[in-house]
Amino acid sequence: MSFPLICQMSIRRISQRAKDEKTRKLLSRIIRVDQAGELGADRIYAGQIAVLGNTPVGPIIQEMKEQEQEHLETFNKLIVEKRVRPTALLPLWNIAGFALGAGTALLGKEGAMACTVAVESVIGEHYNSQIRDLMEDDPEKHKELIKKLSKFRDDELHHHDTGLEHDAEKAPMYDALSQVIKVGCIGAIWLSERI
Amino acid sequence: MSTSTGDRNPPQDTSSGPGGSASSQTSNGGYNTQRTGQGAQYSDELDNSEDLVSEVEEEEMPEETEEEYQTKQAVLKASLPFVHQYGWTKKAIVAGAESLGMPSMVHGMFPRGGAELVFYFYEESNKELESFLKQKVTELKEKDEKIKTGPFIHDAIETRLRMIIPYIDKWPQAMAIQTLPQNAVQSWTNLSRVVDDIWFYAGDKSNDFNWYTKRGSLAAVYKSTEIYLIQDRSEDYTDTWNFLENRLEDVVSAGHLARNLQETNTVLSEGAKGFCVMTRNLLGMNNR
Repeated sequence: MSFPLICQMSIRRISQRAKDEKTRKLLSRIIRVDQAGELGADRIYAGQIAVLGNTPVGPIIQEMKEQEQEHLETFNKLIVEKRVRPTALLPLWNIAGFALGAGTALLGKEGAMACTVAVESVIGEHYNSQIRDLMEDDPEKHKELIKKLSKFRDDELHHHDTGLEHDAEKAPMYDALSQVIKVGCIGAIWLSERI
Repeated sequence: MSTSTGDRNPPQDTSSGPGGSASSQTSNGGYNTQRTGQGAQYSDELDNSEDLVSEVEEEEMPEETEEEYQTKQAVLKASLPFVHQYGWTKKAIVAGAESLGMPSMVHGMFPRGGAELVFYFYEESNKELESFLKQKVTELKEKDEKIKTGPFIHDAIETRLRMIIPYIDKWPQAMAIQTLPQNAVQSWTNLSRVVDDIWFYAGDKSNDFNWYTKRGSLAAVYKSTEIYLIQDRSEDYTDTWNFLENRLEDVVSAGHLARNLQETNTVLSEGAKGFCVMTRNLLGMNNR
């Protein structure tokens, strides 16, 4: 490799091969964890509907669930398109999500909403950091994906606000519950990125 | 250079690997004359630039430059013919290097010794397999035929295993090298590359846990057939291909069994639910 070409590649003397590898790893990490996250969210809402389906708040949760389903389908397609390995923990998130949704719903409508608020706030931040990473890597190449993630992030924040509107903060032990769920989500995200 | 298990380049990616580096080398042709003039001045900077770049670089530096990578590939390629004589060892690498006119000290570039040669061969064979699979898919598309998964996978595995046959005299040694703990991770990555490529080109669209079961079962088939291959003495290894066919049939019947079990499970659980509802009605515990 000639020196002028190295200069052109700027101070970072990374070969094109290494750079492509880096991008591929970033993309696969993002898509893998997002698919897991959307599956988890979908299952959480399913758990909540199992308990609160017949109450007045049922249709609202149903609507949020349908939006999560849309997100999930997008990521399912991306997994195949970009040849990304799905996380091996999918069955675990399937069960855990349902259990979390049903468990918090048993605390009443406020509990379910508190769970929604906690999960959606973590997911909103998570999407933001992913968008930042993609912009840092190559804003042109990832334009499509960045647009999709931005839309999904807006949807999730909308869910977050819906949760707050429906008395999430009136849930029993709101602060402790919220913290525990947030920590759990962050742990799940960390694991899904790697395993 | 480590690659994470199971993720591969998206199909549209055209700048990966040798393709990318070859194009950068051809574009260097024009610069070469400039280099020799300024070469002496810059070569010192290049030698020290590793330190310079590591100060600037916040992230992890790639382990080797493009130049080193190309040199290593060339040496390993030249070493393959010597495997019959020396086995998958440093001696073979030294012989290969010397055949290219390089000093024998170049074996220092290969800290894992013979294993590097095994991995190089494995990776080259994988690349050959991938181009074979791509070609096959294109051919089928042109004829507007659907891919028949069973025969496709059989052909793919047979093609890949046939690449071992030229080195079959020393292949048991290669397999043993791959089972050493320090080489286990790379061997696992190589094997997953094979099964992932085969499933991808066979048209696998799974995006849930099936992704793992499919690749796991195929890896088991591949590995067992490989072991059968090295002790097969039949004409053109026909026994091995029959063995392969039987193993693939096992996988298919296991899949059917799993589906049947699932259906049985559904029927049984529906029946149990019905029974519970009936009992509750009889005992007057219904919700009406």
